[in-house]
Amino acid sequence: MNTSLEVKALRYGLLTALLSLGGTGLAAIAIPALPNSILPPVSSEASFSETVVTPELAAKGQEFYETSCSECHGDDATGDEGPDLHNLPISNARIRVMIKKGLKGEMPTFAKKYNDQQIAALVSYLRTLR
Amino acid sequence: MLIDPSIWPKMHGASVHFPVALAMAAALFDGVGFVWPKSSPRKAQLHSAGYFTIILGALGTFPAVLSGLLMTRGEVMGHGALLFHHLFVWPAFACLVGLGVWRALAGDKVSFRGFAVYLVVLFLTAGLMGGAGYWGGELLLNS
Repeated sequence: MNTSLEVKALRYGLLTALLSLGGTGLAAIAIPALPNSILPPVSSEASFSETVVTPELAAKGQEFYETSCSECHGDDATGDEGPDLHNLPISNARIRVMIKKGLKGEMPTFAKKYNDQQIAALVSYLRTLR
Repeated sequence: MLIDPSIWPKMHGASVHFPVALAMAAALFDGVGFVWPKSSPRKAQLHSAGYFTIILGALGTFPAVLSGLLMTRGEVMGHGALLFHHLFVWPAFACLVGLGVWRALAGDKVSFRGFAVYLVVLFLTAGLMGGAGYWGGELLLNS
């Protein structure tokens, strides 16, 4: 056994881990500057952060919520017949799909009632629920 | 077009399983090797397998992380399932790289106590990798 070797290896290990995280941070800053032709599109079903929460959009979404969702999810969205909608641990894309298609036997579909922009407003409102 | 943008999600899917599986395999090999009787030659073989799997696992994190960053256009946190995924990914990435470097440099010339600490961190890292994989699966299945 060689304690000094262990300590030296530990120092290099910590240093490499920190450098790797730092390099990742730099890459995250640099990647959005890459040409759009080599990056996935921003607004697609595969994008996880495409719904931008703005006060206007969220306010519109709240109107839709009160019209169509509060009956089951509660006026304050903390849940009633349906679940609590605060801090939803699923992606925006998944929320959109659930609103559009519903859940068999549990939640109706809203695809005919709301268009994509209105559903985006609803998602935007749901993201304000913390 | 020089690079098809759809390559990044595919590359992420293809590369993430290596570090997840190798971190867990390293924990298994070194964990079993740690309690294996000293008199058996199998003990050294298990530690040898643990040595190579942790190093390969650490190396495997880089393409996985890079392709993940590219597919999300540099998103390091996000929200919902992606946020949970990242809360596991970043500590797991740092730990796996650190453990790989430590193991590569220290080799088999380590004290009992040093190796015990390594094993604890390795099991923690394997758990974090499992959590990252779980939330990655949630993203895939629920998006």
